[in-house]
Amino acid sequence: MGTEEGSKEESVELFCPSEEEIERWMARAFDMAKEALENGEVPVGCLMVYKDEVVGKGRNEVNETKNATRHAEMVALDQVLDWCWQSSLDVKSVCERIALYVTVEPCIMCAAALRLLNIPVIVYGCRNERFGGCGSVLDVSSADLPHTGTQFKCISGHRAEEAVDMLKTFYKQQNPNGEKQNHSACLFFLLLMLHYQNVLYFHTLLLLFLHYYSFSSFLTVLNFLSVSAPKPKTRKE
Amino acid sequence: MKRWKGSPCDVDSWVALPVLSDEQSQDVELVEVYAAPILDKKETSRLVRELNSLCPLSGLQHVKRVRPCSERPHTLEVLMCLVSDVPKMQVVSIDSLLPSGGINCNGLGEPFVVKVPARAPLTRPQFELASQHWPTSFHEDKQVTVALRGELFSHHQKERIHAYMASAVTAAREGGVAGMEAIGAVVVDPKTERIIAVGHDCRRKHPLHHAVMVVIDLVARSQGGGFYGFDSYPACRFTSASSVQTEAQIENGTQPYICTGYDLYVTREPCVMCAMALVHSRIGRVFYGVTSADGALGSKFKIHTQKDLNHRFEVYRGVLSRECEDLHSMDDHIKKDRGE
Repeated sequence: MGTEEGSKEESVELFCPSEEEIERWMARAFDMAKEALENGEVPVGCLMVYKDEVVGKGRNEVNETKNATRHAEMVALDQVLDWCWQSSLDVKSVCERIALYVTVEPCIMCAAALRLLNIPVIVYGCRNERFGGCGSVLDVSSADLPHTGTQFKCISGHRAEEAVDMLKTFYKQQNPNGEKQNHSACLFFLLLMLHYQNVLYFHTLLLLFLHYYSFSSFLTVLNFLSVSAPKPKTRKE
Repeated sequence: MKRWKGSPCDVDSWVALPVLSDEQSQDVELVEVYAAPILDKKETSRLVRELNSLCPLSGLQHVKRVRPCSERPHTLEVLMCLVSDVPKMQVVSIDSLLPSGGINCNGLGEPFVVKVPARAPLTRPQFELASQHWPTSFHEDKQVTVALRGELFSHHQKERIHAYMASAVTAAREGGVAGMEAIGAVVVDPKTERIIAVGHDCRRKHPLHHAVMVVIDLVARSQGGGFYGFDSYPACRFTSASSVQTEAQIENGTQPYICTGYDLYVTREPCVMCAMALVHSRIGRVFYGVTSADGALGSKFKIHTQKDLNHRFEVYRGVLSRECEDLHSMDDHIKKDRGE
């Protein structure tokens, strides 16, 4: 089970991906992000690599699970745990030799989860001004939290502009389109209902329409926020 | 899930205190200012007017310009200027403090240094401390004042809070018996007074399944989502949203989005991961029993008051603190038995 005793000491000291590894795995992470963007999903790519093997990867699953904690990193960490259990490997000794490659700085929650699982090093692209847990909002990675796993090292700025541009493209696409669809769907629904209903119901329906409309735009806003991306204005990186 | 029938509970055994931001809870910071006695009272309004335009004391708008002092021969003292705004000098005189010719110094005595509050007080305790140094104005937030006295909640509200936390304690015990850390959590819709989800720590099974993460997923389950199954733990349960939807909600087809408007009761202060998960979930309020060493809602961080984050919420600590503390010792016993 786990790594050999001998290599354990050096794992703490020396475990750090090489330039070549960073280049290679970040390219994979960016490919994932691009793919997500092409499919209309949040363009964040996230990979967990153990001994030159991808043992976890993820994308944001907040909308389909209605669980706001299903960020790409959390999904990837679940895969790592599954992989350990299936391979009958000790979680802690595997995690201590995992590097996370992610196109955007992990949020505060994900940074704490990475600490709790003793992930030693993460490589990320752009900063996350809204939720970043590796220095942008809080620095969970190096904070003095003796009961929250181990501190981890951050290597940041790799292809940062590209990561920001993808996020910008995503929000530019998403917001106007989403609004338009909501508009037309709501209006169509409203007109259809008016056609069949007594005019007396108009008031109720109007309220209903407004309610639905505000709720859906509220959802759009929430979705927008839950992907842990910086605002276009604040994205300076 | 049945509503908790309020059997007589000792709601006086605990006090729920608000966990306020650093700005609201820090000590009063002082700044040095030159003041001078007003020897001729009739000159007061002229002096204040002239000083206000000459030395506006920017950043100290909360400090009153003049204070009465009954125990000295003169009856009033007026603030002149910040000590940091004038060059250091051995002997201080009125003339050296003010630009020459700027003001008619008739009626002013020899200047001296006083310490005044550097920031506007945000809470009554801060106001009371600040006022001991110099008269200060205060825009009181009544709710904060009442909350700090531990009197925010009515008897009925305290009974409800007591009952919900008691459910969390029960779940924590069941978790402890199942080999987990004895931490429990309950999510409630305060508008309908219904329990939406109950859960306990499951980190023996999955290292990130802290009680809060468990209930967040159970709430998602109640809304037709959710990712994990906690069906093997009978104490982890939820009430599906369809059965608790109010008539109004059914009528307009809306469902609560994630935890918006819900309250969380948790026996121990959440860690950083859980606290941020609550931000992402848009929780309404959080009540916890006891603090934890790395806690992120008061101890190490105050994530609920973090300015840069897009959602903030109220946090109260101390609910059923004794019972929650006892859970901690239950944990220690379990660990000892395992030889940890």
